[in-house]
Amino acid sequence: MSFFKTSVLAAFLLFFFYAALILSLLTAFEGKGFWELLRAPETLFAIRLSLTAATLAAILAVAIGLPAAYALSRKNFFGKKVVDTILELPLIMSPIALGAALLIFFNTRAGEAIQSQGILFVFEFPGIVLAQFATIAGLATRLMKTALDEITPRYEAVARSLGSSAWQAFWRITFPLAFRGLVSAVILCWAKAVGEFGATVTLAGTMAFKTETMPTAIFMALASADIPKTIILILILAGIGLTALYAVRLLDKRPQVL
Amino acid sequence: MIQISDLSLTAGNFRIDHLNLDLREGVFNILLGPTGSGKTLILESVIGLRPLARGRVVLGGKEIQNLPPEKRGIAYLPQDLALFPHLTVRENLRYGLRAQEKTSAEDENHLERVIEALKIRHLLERHPQGLSGGEKQRVALGRALAPSPRLILLDEPLAALDPALKSEIQQLLLSLQGALRFTALYVTHDLEEAYLLGDTISVLIDGRIEQRGPREDVFLRPQTAKIARFLGFRNLFPAEVRPSSPGGGAMAIAVWGKEIILPREQAAAGLTAGERVILYLRPEEVLVLREGKPIKEILRPNILEGSVARILDRGAYQWILFRPSGMDISLEIHLPNYVFRNLSLAEDQPIRVAMRKESFWVMPDEHIRPKP
Repeated sequence: MSFFKTSVLAAFLLFFFYAALILSLLTAFEGKGFWELLRAPETLFAIRLSLTAATLAAILAVAIGLPAAYALSRKNFFGKKVVDTILELPLIMSPIALGAALLIFFNTRAGEAIQSQGILFVFEFPGIVLAQFATIAGLATRLMKTALDEITPRYEAVARSLGSSAWQAFWRITFPLAFRGLVSAVILCWAKAVGEFGATVTLAGTMAFKTETMPTAIFMALASADIPKTIILILILAGIGLTALYAVRLLDKRPQVL
Repeated sequence: MIQISDLSLTAGNFRIDHLNLDLREGVFNILLGPTGSGKTLILESVIGLRPLARGRVVLGGKEIQNLPPEKRGIAYLPQDLALFPHLTVRENLRYGLRAQEKTSAEDENHLERVIEALKIRHLLERHPQGLSGGEKQRVALGRALAPSPRLILLDEPLAALDPALKSEIQQLLLSLQGALRFTALYVTHDLEEAYLLGDTISVLIDGRIEQRGPREDVFLRPQTAKIARFLGFRNLFPAEVRPSSPGGGAMAIAVWGKEIILPREQAAAGLTAGERVILYLRPEEVLVLREGKPIKEILRPNILEGSVARILDRGAYQWILFRPSGMDISLEIHLPNYVFRNLSLAEDQPIRVAMRKESFWVMPDEHIRPKP
C-alpha cells in the first residue's frame, strides 16, 4: 500500500473510532424523554451556566491572551522562552491538578485576600470561569500567536512608515488579516471551556443550580447510574462542541481576501 | 541634504560602527552591497524599526533618530511590497494620507498626479491579489509616494522580478523620479540596476561604506581592490608603484615583469612610491591587433603576445581568455560581436593585444594597506 493510501486509511481509522463512540451512545439511546430532559430546569441551568462561564472565560482569555500572543509573535524580550513554555502548562498538566492548584492558592493568604475583596471563587460561579480560563488561556495564546505569525511583520513596518502608530498598524492591518485565525482560536478554546470538567469540579464543586455545568451534570448522572440521562447530556454537549468546530471549518471555507 | 552620521548598531554577531552616509535630495541614492553587508539593517534603523546604539539621522535639518517610525516622514517599500491584501488599491494608496490626516486639496492633487504617473487609475477598485507583478510594483510605489514622504526607502524591490518586468519597472522608476523629484535611498546588490538608477552610489561592504560618489567614479574608478572585486572586476593584477617617478603627472607601475607608465589620473588618490597596488585592466578596452595592420605609436609600449585560451559567446559580447606568452597570467577580453566576427578568432590561435593607458586603473591593495 502506498504511503498516501496508508495516511488516508489512518485518517479514516480515527474518524471511525470517534464515530463508533457516538454511535454506541445512539444504540443505547431510547429517544424517549429527550425533550423532557432537555427542557428540565436543571439541564437548562447547566447548559446556560456552561455557555455563560465558557464565554466569559473565552473573553478573558482573549483580553489577556491576544496582547500576550502579539508580544510573543513580534517581539524578542527577556524571559520570552520561559513565558512561552509556561503557556503549555495547561496542555501537559491534568485539569484536576490545575483545579487543585487553584483551590490550594485560594487557601493561601494571597488567595484569601483576593476572596475577601468580595469576589468568591471557591465553590462559586467565578470559580468556574477562573477554572475554565486557567485551562484555555495558554492554548488560546498559543493558537492566536500562530494566527499572528502567519501575518508578516512587514505589513506593520510599512503601515508605520506611512504614519500609523503601532496600535493603529495592528488594528488596521494585522488584526483584520489575522481575524479568521483569531476567531478560530477563540471558538476552539470556547468549545474546550464548555467541555472542561476537571479543574471546574475541583474548584467550584458540583452543586445543582449553582455550579453544576454540563460536564459536571454528566458526571453526576453517571455516578448515580442514570445512563439515559448521561447519554442525553453527552449528546447535547457533543452537539454544542461539534457546532462550534463546524463554525471554525466554515470560517476556513469563506473566500480568502489574501 | 539627508545625513546619517556616526551610526552604530549591533544585530547578533554583525556590527555597524560609526557609519556616515549623506543623501542628496531629489535623486536616487543607491546603497550597493553584497548580501549580508548590512544594507537592510541600515534601512531599518533609518526607518526607526531598529534601535541605534548611537548615531544621528538628520532629515530636513531635524534630528529624527529618536522619533517613532510614524513621525519620521520616511516611506518604506520592502522587497515583497507588502501591499495590504484586505484593502483595495485605492485604500492602499490612501493609507498614508489617512494615517497622516492629510486631507488638503494639495494632498489630493499630489495623489492624482501619482495615480496618473503610475497609470493605475483602472486598478483602483481591485484588490492586490488580482494584480500582475508589474501592477503590484506600481501600486506599492504609489502607496509610498502618495503622502509625499521626505524620503522613500526601497529595499531591493525588483530583486524577485523576471528580466523583462525588471527593465520595465526600472524605466518607470526613472520616469517617475523625473516627474516627481522624490528623494530615494535604494538598496540593491544588483550592479546593473545600481548603475542604471543611481545618481549617487555608496558601496557598503561588511558594514562599512567603502566608497561613495557619482556612479561613474564608483564603477570606473573603485578606490580599493575590495570594491573592484565586489563589482565583478576580473583583470586584477598585483603591481607596485615604482619609487622613481617619471614626472609630468605620470607614474611608473611595475607589473608582469615590465614597467607601464600611466597618467596620475589613472590611479586612486594617495598612492605612494614603492607601494604594492592592484592594477585593473578593463576587458572591454583591450584591442586585439590584426596581422599586417599598422600599429599606432601610442599603443607600442603596451603590447602583449600570446594565444587565445578560451572563447565564450556571452550573447551581447564575446568573452576571450588570453594567455600572454612566457607569463603565468590570463587576461579577460570582451569583444563586441562585430569585431569578433571580423577577427575570425579561434581557440589556441596566436594573437597580439594592445592596451591603451586609459584602459588601466591602479588602486591600493587593502590586504597590504588596510583602511584606517
